[in-house]
Amino acid sequence: MGYASTAKKSTVPAGGWSDLWRQEDYWAMWLGLTIILLAIVFWSIGNNFMNWIVLKIPSYSDYRTAISYLTSHKSAILALYLFFLILFSIAVKVLSGEVQRFLVGFTFLFSMSILVSVWGSWDVMKRYNFETPLLALVVGLVISNFLKIPYWLSTALQTQFYVKLGIVLMGASLPFTLIIQAGSTAFAQATIISLATFLTIYWTGTRVFALDKRFAATLAAGGSICGVSASIAIGGTVKAEKQHVSIAISLVILWSIIMIFILPLAIKALNILPGPAGAWIGTAEFADAPGMAAAAAINEQAIKTFTLMKVVGRDMFIGIWCFIMALTSITRWDKRYAGTNPNALDIWIRFPKFVLGFIVASIIITILAASANGVTSKAIDNNIINPISELRNWAFIFTFLSIGLSSRLKELASVGWKPFAAFTAGVLINIPLGYLLSVVIMGNYWITIK
Amino acid sequence: MHKDNETCVQRARFFFYFFEKPKETPPFDQIVKVKQVKPEAIRNLNKFLTSRLERIATMMELLTEVHKDWAITGKKDYILMETESYDFNASLQILKEHGFDDSEFILKVEYTRKWGVL
Repeated sequence: MGYASTAKKSTVPAGGWSDLWRQEDYWAMWLGLTIILLAIVFWSIGNNFMNWIVLKIPSYSDYRTAISYLTSHKSAILALYLFFLILFSIAVKVLSGEVQRFLVGFTFLFSMSILVSVWGSWDVMKRYNFETPLLALVVGLVISNFLKIPYWLSTALQTQFYVKLGIVLMGASLPFTLIIQAGSTAFAQATIISLATFLTIYWTGTRVFALDKRFAATLAAGGSICGVSASIAIGGTVKAEKQHVSIAISLVILWSIIMIFILPLAIKALNILPGPAGAWIGTAEFADAPGMAAAAAINEQAIKTFTLMKVVGRDMFIGIWCFIMALTSITRWDKRYAGTNPNALDIWIRFPKFVLGFIVASIIITILAASANGVTSKAIDNNIINPISELRNWAFIFTFLSIGLSSRLKELASVGWKPFAAFTAGVLINIPLGYLLSVVIMGNYWITIK
Repeated sequence: MHKDNETCVQRARFFFYFFEKPKETPPFDQIVKVKQVKPEAIRNLNKFLTSRLERIATMMELLTEVHKDWAITGKKDYILMETESYDFNASLQILKEHGFDDSEFILKVEYTRKWGVL
């Protein structure tokens, strides 16, 4: 399970303008946009700093090549470490205040990221399709399931924060027109699958396993809409028990981790091309971070189609789902809380704010690219988009390591067989339906998204 | 599920509105924008507010006696009590045991993942 601060804090009032600096989502957006603006500023003054700090460890067969690369890039490694450390420390200071522990924990995480990247670039690992994303995950899982993770390290395992930052940076490499065009297709496709999966889990949970309706809805939301975010949003909306929300979250994480391994294997076995593969992962995976790990195990195109499907097609619409569920809860299930009428404002409150950063990043780069001639356009690619993409890859490596290091499978599996079975029924519908839509019916469309 | 394995934080939010009770016609309906307001309507408002404010104060006392960690915010037309460390079902039970029903408050429940949970 993930890190949770043991420090007892008094409850403070929620909401208001302070969300802008008290929510992880906003910090992912602020930091992501800061990085993009820095890249633009450095390029505009002719400074090569951004290209200097990004490391792209080359594929090698002789370990001396890797050692030589690292020793010749010592300063850049240090600069990259300090770059991330300074940015993340600002956010951590405001969000949790535990900067000192984070500093130690992040130093360890960064060092492990370098080691895993070097190991994953070895041609033997590539030959067995065991590249950096899966390797980071496995290394993390082995450590966390056999050793006790110290508290100072736990403070640096901010999986959600890293993946949200990565997704904001991802916006810089996706033209805004593509987000609009592909986003509508993704939404239509994702909605069909989400509805089928939601109804399956809800029906199985309530009718076959006699689970409480609110519990079943919380489970169904996690398995169909957008993972943990959906479970906590719907859980609150329908006033589910805390234990039930915790179980739903555990199941989402458990199945997400299983899917990181199953989906890339199935994609390779079925010879699915990267575009449709990413779209399939986008509907089949339950959470952003594990989905990104599965997509990164394929290639860059799969990362793009995954992001369009998961973030644009699913995550953005969580507020609307909540609104519908709130109405259902009050009008159909139980009138005890008739006073808590759903408010349309909740759609905005539930909106994942880091997606705004993703969209703004895309708009900034799209405008910049549109106003450039051929030569400038190439310079933008080389000096802005490429270094941002490399920094994004580092954010994802921190994500994959954090998933592994914070997931203790024994604890995740201790949820009871009934909710597990109901959730699994949804998985059995979600996976083939996603394959049918993303690969068989819409495959030719997703191939063209690059 | 063991408490240490919980993956979310629950925030219970109780809204106590001064001038209306959910599911009840507010006394202001006989006053605001009404021509020829009757003195009786003012007396009704007085009775309503006296009783309503007393009951809100009692509910606040009950909740703060049973649990200390509440963020209490006063707004122009309601009191908001929020806690992240006391289950909403336990709060509901206390209020109901003392004769307060669901029409006397609005309860909203919000969950957030524990900081760092995937």
